[in-house]
Order: sequence, then C-alpha cells, then structure tokens
Amino acid sequence: MGRIETDVIIIGGGATGAGIARDLSMRGVKCVLVEKNDIASGATGRNHGLLHSGARYAVKDHESAQECISENRILRKIAWHCIEDTGGLFVTLPEDDPSYHSQLLEGCKYAGIPAKEISIRKALQLEPNLNPGILSAMTVPDGTIDPFRLTASNMLDAKERGVVILTHTRVTSILKSNGRITGAICTSKDGGETEIHARMIVNAAGVWGQEVCSLAEIKLPMFPSKGSMLIIDYRVNGVVINRCRPPADGDIIVPGDTVSLIGTTSREIPYDKIDDYTIDDDEIDVLLSDGEKLIPNVKNTRALRAYCGVRPLVAVSGEMDGRNISRGIVLIDHKERDGLEGLVTISGGKLMTYRLMAEKTSDLVCRKLGVKKKCSTHKVPLPGSESRFSSGRTVKKFSGIPDSVVGSTFYRHGQRLRNIMTGEKKNYRLICECEMVTEGEIEYAIKKLEVKDLVDLRRRTRIGMGPCQGELCAYRGAGLFHEYGGTTPEGSVDLLYDFLEERWKGIRPVLWGDGLRESEFTYWIYQGLFGLSHINDNKKKKG
Amino acid sequence: MVYDCVIIGGGLAGLTCGIKCAEEGLRTVVISGGMNSLHFSSGSIDLAGFTDNGSIIKKPFDYLKKTASGKKGHPYAKAGLPAIKKSLDFFISRLSEEGITLNNNGDYNHFHVTAPGAVKPTYLSQESVYSPAGKDIIKSGGKIAVLNFKGFRDYYPEQTAANLKKHPLFKNTEFIMGDISLPYYLHTEKNLHEFRSTDIARIFETERYLPRIADEIAKAAGDAGAVSLPAFIGISNYREIRRKLESMTGKFIYEIPTLPPSILGLRIDSALKNCFFSKGGEYIAGEKIVSASTNKGTVESIMTGNRSTSSEIKSRYFVLASGSFFSGGLQAGVSEIKEPIFNLKVQGDKKRSKWYSHDFFDRKSHPFLSFGVETDRNFNPCSEEGKTIKNLFCAGSVLSGYDPVKEGSGGGVAISTGYKCAERIIRELEK
Repeated sequence: MGRIETDVIIIGGGATGAGIARDLSMRGVKCVLVEKNDIASGATGRNHGLLHSGARYAVKDHESAQECISENRILRKIAWHCIEDTGGLFVTLPEDDPSYHSQLLEGCKYAGIPAKEISIRKALQLEPNLNPGILSAMTVPDGTIDPFRLTASNMLDAKERGVVILTHTRVTSILKSNGRITGAICTSKDGGETEIHARMIVNAAGVWGQEVCSLAEIKLPMFPSKGSMLIIDYRVNGVVINRCRPPADGDIIVPGDTVSLIGTTSREIPYDKIDDYTIDDDEIDVLLSDGEKLIPNVKNTRALRAYCGVRPLVAVSGEMDGRNISRGIVLIDHKERDGLEGLVTISGGKLMTYRLMAEKTSDLVCRKLGVKKKCSTHKVPLPGSESRFSSGRTVKKFSGIPDSVVGSTFYRHGQRLRNIMTGEKKNYRLICECEMVTEGEIEYAIKKLEVKDLVDLRRRTRIGMGPCQGELCAYRGAGLFHEYGGTTPEGSVDLLYDFLEERWKGIRPVLWGDGLRESEFTYWIYQGLFGLSHINDNKKKKG
Repeated sequence: MVYDCVIIGGGLAGLTCGIKCAEEGLRTVVISGGMNSLHFSSGSIDLAGFTDNGSIIKKPFDYLKKTASGKKGHPYAKAGLPAIKKSLDFFISRLSEEGITLNNNGDYNHFHVTAPGAVKPTYLSQESVYSPAGKDIIKSGGKIAVLNFKGFRDYYPEQTAANLKKHPLFKNTEFIMGDISLPYYLHTEKNLHEFRSTDIARIFETERYLPRIADEIAKAAGDAGAVSLPAFIGISNYREIRRKLESMTGKFIYEIPTLPPSILGLRIDSALKNCFFSKGGEYIAGEKIVSASTNKGTVESIMTGNRSTSSEIKSRYFVLASGSFFSGGLQAGVSEIKEPIFNLKVQGDKKRSKWYSHDFFDRKSHPFLSFGVETDRNFNPCSEEGKTIKNLFCAGSVLSGYDPVKEGSGGGVAISTGYKCAERIIRELEK
C-alpha cells in the first residue's frame, strides 16, 4: 500500500474540487485531490455551460443573482480562454405572461445586472434565427463557459503548485481517531491502494457527497435532481436565448463551440439512480418542442446527443421537502453539525459559482489549519489565460499551419498553445477533423492533463465531440494513446471499445434521422469492418 | 425512350443486377446517388459468418441449407440456395474478367484480419487477403512483419499484432513491427502525415517509386517471410504492383483493410463498374430520385432531381437497390421508418426506443439494422396500401429480415438478391 502525507484531502474532481485544490495550493496548503472517475465527469461537465449573468435568478433569488454577476465579471478576467462572450437575450413568447419582463428588468437592476430592453427588430438583428413572433426582448451579459476546460485549467494550476491529483481513484474508507479526521484509504481503478494521512478532508463530491459522509458515519441526505439537455448539430444561435418566464423546462438555448444546446429539464430522481443517466423520450420531446418555440429552425437540425446531470441539492437539517431546498451554496463544518473535526462538505451552488464556493471552503479550511494567507483566485489568471493575446496575433505566429487549426487549439488552451504547437510537422496533423484536434494536442493532453482513457481525452480536447461522434478519430486516438505511452496496444483497443460505448449513451436517446445514419456507419466500421466485439469476446472467454 | 430496366442504387446489389441485365441485352441504366458502401467495406464478400448466437460458421452453404427454410422473411430464403451459388459464381467470373481474382476456401469460410487485430470469417477475398500460399504461411508459424507507412494515421500495427498474438490461429507466429517511409524524392504540398489510403495507393501506383518502397519493406521486415501492410498498395493495377513487390522483396505480401476509403473495396467497385460498361450498361452518377409515378400497381416512371434539373426516366422494370439508412434507401423520422421514393411497406417498429440496443456492441446487434422493405418471395414490394407492385423489385440492404453485420451476410445478400432480381426481370421479359 502506498502512503502519502498531506494537509488536506479533497474528494471530488469537479470544478469545485479543482477550484479548492487551486485555492489551497495558492495559500501554501498541501493537498491531494481524489476523484473516482475523471475530472469534470459529474455535474460539472453535465450542464449547459452557461456563463450566467444572474438574470435567471433575479426575480426570485437575489443572493444567487448577485453571486452570478460578480463571478461572471471575475471569470471573464481569470479564465477568458474558457469563455465566449456571446451575450444573452431574454425573450417573451406570445403565450408567456408579459408582466414577467418588467419584473425581470426590476430584479436585474436590484442585483446590479446590466439588463437592457431592446426593440424586437434589434433582437432579430442580433439573432436572425429567433422566433419573429416574440413580444419583447432584453439583453443581459450572459456568455458561455466550457466546464471541461475550466476544470482542467484549475487542476493544471494546482498540479503545477504541487497538488497530487489521483483520478480514477475511489475513497474506500475514511480514517478517524478521537473525533478527528486522520486520513483516508483510496483504491485506484487497477486495484492499487493508497493510505493518505491528512489533517482535514474536504467533501466536494457533489451528489456523491452523501456516500462520502456515510464513510465517516455521518448522515447527509441529498435530493438528487436530474437535468437533461439536448445538443443539436448546428450553432443555430450566436447569442444565448433565454425564455422570459419563471424558470421551467426547455427555457434556454446556449451556443457552444460548433453546436447549440437546448436546456434543461428538472426531475427528482431516487438516490440509487444517480449513476444511471437515463434520458426519457418525453424529456426529449419537451426540449425539442420548447426549443422550436424560441428558434423555429431547431426542427430542421440534427439532434446530436442528449445527456443529463444530477444537481447536488442537499438537505442540511435532513428533513426538508425536496422542492423547498435552496440551490444556493451549502458549506458544512461537520465539527459543528456532527461533532467530527476535520471534515467539511461543500455542496449546492452551480458551476458559475465554483470559485466562490472554493474560496469559502478554503477560508474555512485555512481558519482551521491556522493558515493566514488570503484568497487570490479572483486576481490570478488560470493557466492559458495568463496574458491576453488576440487570437489573430497568435495565429500569425504559426505561419504555414492552417489558421483553423491554430485557432482551434488557441480557443481550447489559450496561451498554453505554446506548449502544444511545437516541433515536427506530424504534431500538426489532424486526428479529429470535426473539432480540429491535432496529434500535438493529444500528446500534450496525455502527458500533462491527467488523461487516463479516451473519454478523458475527449473532455480535454473535444476529440470525437463533433458531428461524426468519433467515427474515424476514435480509432486514431486509441492508436496514439498507445504511441504516447498511455497504455498497451491491447489496452488501447479496450479504450476504443469503452469510448464508443460511452458515446452511444448520448446518441441512443436521439437515434433518428441523420444521427441514425451516422450510427449505422459507425457500427459498420467498428463492428462490421473491425470486429471489435469479437476481440472483446475472445478476451472474456479467456478471462 | 423507355428502358427495360432502371436500377436505383449503384452498390454491390445494383451493379450485380445491372451487369446481369445488361449482358442479357436489356437496355439497362444504373442511377447512383454517390459513393457506395464498398468504399468503407473490408473488400471481402461475407456470405454467412455467424450463427444467431454468435458462433462462427465454418461451412456457409451447409448452414444456409439447414436454416434457409427456417428463416421465413430472410432474403436468402427467398433467393434459394441454387441462386445464391449461381450468383456467387457469376460474380467471381465477371470480376475475374476485370482482373480481380477472388479466392475462396472451397465450401469453407476463411479468415481475414482486421486492423485492431480481430479475425473474422468471410467467404471471398482478394489474393492479398486470402490465398493458399498465405494460408500455408500462417499454418507453418513463420515470422510476420506487420508494417505501416510512417506517419499514416489510419492504421496502428501494434494493435493488430498484440491482439492477433492472442488468437489460436497465430499461436506459433512471431510478429515484428516496423515502418516504411515515403521515397525521399517525393515532394508534396500536403502534410504527408495527413495522407489517406488513396494518397498512398497513388504512390504505389507510380512505377519509379516501387524499387525504393521494396527496399524499405525488405529493410523493415528483416528475415520475416511475410509482410502485412494496411490495404493501400494501389487500386487499378494492384495485382501487378503486388507481384513486383513480392519478387523485389522475396516476401509474401498481405493486406489488412483499415479506415475508409477502403482500397480493397474500391478495387471491386471499379471492376464492377467497368464490367457493367463493357456489357453496354448506362450509368448516371450523383442523381437523387425524388419521386415515382405509379398507375394500377405498376411503376411507370421515376423523377430525378439534382438541384436545378429534373428529368423523368421511364422503364418497363425497376429495381430498388438504394441501400439502408446511411445511403438514404431508408429514412428514420422521430417515430417512423420510411422508404422515401415509392413509400413502400416497411418493416420497423413504431416505437423509437425499440430501434436500438442498450449497448453499442450488444451481442444481439441493433434492431434497426434489420429494418427494411417487406417483399414477397419474388422480391416484389407492397405499396403502403398493401398492393404488390409487380414491376418493381428490391435488392440488397434496403430489404428487411436480415442483419448484415451480426450475420456476416451483407455481401452475399447483396449479390444474390441483385442477381435474383435480374433473373426475374429477364424471365418476365421473355414471356
């Protein structure tokens, strides 16, 4: 069994966990981050990637609205390479209550969100695909944020400051002595065990935090709420389109990279279903029909994938009714709640407020550890956002390489582009043609960004996220995974198999039209031409 | 002008049908919407590779004889064993006229190797994939060099070797791996590392490069008696190239199909087209059929439409060989499966959640792969109202009742049903 001595164990590699690792390491606290899957594989990577202006909460929840607009301004500075400043619109449809529009303007004013009413003509100029039948429109400072990039960047910074990152590693027991936390034992995917000694544990495991608490024999009931989203294979809008009505299913279309995303449903699910990620056919129907009301063109586009995430809503007192539970930030000192010193749980909140959540948690941890240094995550830019270069100037530096390739890499990695676009010509060859992912980018991700399989690689680079969903690049990615020392040759074929299974989960619920055509083709290639399952069967027989 | 036979679809089924019709003197036209599935196939013809529970079939004809009667809706049951055999003989002989030799293992299936190292049963293969000489090399357990072109991103030899090593067939074989590079005097504007199989095939087709390539192969293969390469050693005159490389290197050369475009498939495609032309067939490329006009259960004409132009094509008989979903022969709406040209009666569940399996690599495959047009035993389909259309025949993957991937039967069904439709039309015209 391996042994590590540290100050703090952070459980959970979502944006919050990675943010805490960064924050604490900037204050000189030694940490180990343990994540059972990959970074950003839970709720962090399973939302609509909206850089909230806060307007969505401005009518009912002033605190959240204010937090959002304040974090919005901070993230634009420290994480510009993860953000697209698309702007946002709130539009009222004929069937909506027209008075909500003025309530929203009022609420925004109160929360300090610069919302501005504009004419319908102006709105249609901004967003030509918008339903021309809208009754009113206002602009808000919404944008989009890439949760994978954001989390990877926080993790990279933490790692560069000495944090140990253990992904695909599960905490199997929590060690206590005399009412104090003393450490944890964790097991990696290949079965290796590590004993980590620490003075504190931060539970940032999101909805899985209930299980973490139960390892410490503490009851912390979660109320899992599932949100499903639909991705369509065209960027039908340039601006975030919100429906101007009280929060409900299917009220937003967010543009992101090369696609648009219709969000979101909200359904309570039992706790034992949190790892299922099943999307119901009627959720798809609601998202499609409500999406069409905002942008009629949605019905002519191809549905690419559907996915869902589970919001980690926590019941502090343990007996609240699910509907009344706050979606705000919940920070629990288990010394106060349960008499266990050294365990802190951070939950609730949203991707948008991850940094603030990390700051609050780190403040509490530092207070307990006697560390005086203050938070500086709101001032120090993340790796990739170090200095603000225009993409145009950066592109010019790499003459001879297509602008689109340089542009895509810059878009994903910001200033870290310099660590990727180096050396020989083969580094520039395209492996994923849909998303313009080069061999150099794949090598960088495998070597620097804690990538353990092809699914992780997708989260760091967008390989296989385009229209073809990894038809050709999955095989290439697997081959390169072995070449760059990530796994054995047989292992790389297994990763390919797992990757295609994972892609299938999101394709399955929207399997019609061109999506079905594409899947038939993918099946021909990987099963018909390559016979992947025959390799797997052969292994199973032996195993 | 009225054709004797209009064939919609220029794939394996459509071209086989077209060749048979044209050589019987029928005025025949093949209308093709684009590239066919040979461009991403293995280039081998699968007849019947797997039983329902997934075990490998050794003798496909014996298997078909036993099960053909049992599977009622299966295209093989409708075509009948004699026609299946006849169609394959026909196919082999017509391809050989065009310089493509297809080898089989008598009544037995043989194996071909896939890029990630699976071993799959198939019935007919080109000589670079299956030949008695190659069979002997594997049996004798000699050394095989698994080579790649340096920088070719569509093939990874380590995967092939690693998984083959575990297969009983190769238990005595020693594998070595290596790269060959491009001739140093080849100048290109393109990033060499982005070459596709067709780009490399062109290099092999350049006569003056061959000695250098042969040197590279010999160097990388060392004392291995056999060399495998991803399938890219030329399209049009590959037999000649292979023969020269074998004599220059003194090694047996084997080809492994990899990511599209499939060079092995392209060879068959161009041979089929050339054969069809040589029999006097007409070929219209890049046309979409937008509608058909029927009268009293008979198709009178179809309309082509390609953006600005549209024309009517009349014929006495029609063959629908338009492929499955990928090629547009079938269309999947949000909750229905359609045949878009004639609106034929289709077999396919109404509920979308019944179209697919939970796992991508489910042992049972996916239900949608066996969806398709319903026909009677003469391959005549029904209109949606249930009326049989007598002068329309259906062939290939537009048909329902079989799963080409799970059964390993795609090629055999395409060839036998295409041939069978041609026979029916010829007989009808004789009356």
